[in-house]
Amino acid sequence: MIKIPIKILIVDDEKDFVEMFSLRLKKQGEKVSTAYNGKDALKVLETVPIDVVILDIRMPGMDGIDTLKQIKTLHPIVEVILLTGHGSTETAVEGMKLGAFDYLMKPADFKDINVKLENARKRKDEQEERIRQAEARLLLRRSGDF
Amino acid sequence: MDRVYDDKIRLLLVDDEEGFRRTISKRLAKRGMIPVQASDGEECLGILKTTPMDVVVLDVKMPGISGIDTLRLIKQEFENIQVILLTGNVAVSDGIDGIKSGAFDYLTKPVEIDHLVNKIKQAFEIIQLEKEKQKERGYREKLEKKMIDTERLVSLGTMSTGIAHEINNPLAIINESAGFMKQVISSPEMSMFSQKDALLLGIEKIEKSIKRARKITHELLGHVKKQDSQFSQANLKALLYETLGLLKREIKNKQININWEIDPKKNMVWSDPYQLRQVMMNLLSNAIHALGENGSITLSTRETSEDIILEIKDDGIGIPKENLGKIFDPFFTTKPFDEGTGLGLFVAHKILSGLGCKIDVTSTVGKGTCFQIRLPKYDKSNE
Repeated sequence: MIKIPIKILIVDDEKDFVEMFSLRLKKQGEKVSTAYNGKDALKVLETVPIDVVILDIRMPGMDGIDTLKQIKTLHPIVEVILLTGHGSTETAVEGMKLGAFDYLMKPADFKDINVKLENARKRKDEQEERIRQAEARLLLRRSGDF
Repeated sequence: MDRVYDDKIRLLLVDDEEGFRRTISKRLAKRGMIPVQASDGEECLGILKTTPMDVVVLDVKMPGISGIDTLRLIKQEFENIQVILLTGNVAVSDGIDGIKSGAFDYLTKPVEIDHLVNKIKQAFEIIQLEKEKQKERGYREKLEKKMIDTERLVSLGTMSTGIAHEINNPLAIINESAGFMKQVISSPEMSMFSQKDALLLGIEKIEKSIKRARKITHELLGHVKKQDSQFSQANLKALLYETLGLLKREIKNKQININWEIDPKKNMVWSDPYQLRQVMMNLLSNAIHALGENGSITLSTRETSEDIILEIKDDGIGIPKENLGKIFDPFFTTKPFDEGTGLGLFVAHKILSGLGCKIDVTSTVGKGTCFQIRLPKYDKSNE
């Protein structure tokens, strides 16, 4: 089976973490973009197609939750997995209520990451597929009207 | 009324004149005070060694050890005893010396019996007062110690979460770096590299240690309180039931009996159910650990005017007295490192003090342990 790369954006202010994490995901065959803060993350999302954003909750400037809100407003179909280093699982759960797919606690188990990435991508694919079908139905109905 | 009170005074009368002693004793007995008698200082001290006394009525002029010396010896060894001196008419200075040496007061012979009785009563009152004070002092010290303990644990809690948080980020970097190295070494290009296994072994140890460190940091952080706890009506029985559900496997393995003694009327508290469940989880898994096969856990509630007291009791191995003061300290554990981090009770204590609850423990080795949690009762005005 040929692996279809997941298009991932990693957002974290810990540069060493971003570097090593993206190397690891790339080595596995994913397509990885990186950003070190919320603002840059939004810029990347404007220009690069992304399936899943892995987003650190605690960052200076615009924090993870604010970034999540922006992402969900501007790119509602993109899935977000929250990353928390400070254990506040409650914040993470709050993030899920705002539309995040799931959360992980640092340091995360790579297997867990992969499972969640795969599921997040799947949900996005399915959603896109539903949208396509709805659009097709819409088109059919329109042509029927005329 | 007086008589009952006077009966309680343990009195020793010391005088070398037998006649005098007998007369005074008789008169005192008529007023409800029955003194023990001694004929000189030596006998007096001998009696005191074996029989506790409250008040000693002591003649100053005696053969052998003088009254004043006897007084000093009494005061040295039995600081709670009050001494009333009896002096000759001409020897007022003896009385004054006596007071300087710690006597309660002095009376001059011949003794007016009612006067003596009053003095004895006064001396006894002083003793009672002193005892009250001591009790109060002891109580206050205990309370202060408890407060210091709690404060210490709270500040330790704040610090430990801070540290755990700061360590997680570097730990994540180590984790990803080790993982990446493993990927590189396992790639096909490296298949000919002869030292591959040695490197993989090293990386495996790094990963294992990361997991160990992570267990500690996650346990410390697993309960981090947000600024506002989500207080609501919480049903203790339902929470316990849920928590036991998560521990089902262990309970089944050891065939542990759960005795429910929870009164449904004394069951509703006002607290944060999410955090309470974490506390129950820690306490119940400890209880399970303390039990052998077929052990029992008893869950019960009691009610006071404002609180509900939840008791989690096991009939397991118990906690030795010398450890009882340390069980809430972080990293205190009697288990090997791969079985316990020593953080469970520390975290439980931390959560409960954050919620304004109290936790207490009683334990007997070989009999079991009982944790009591005092939680604010739910009533409609909470909402």
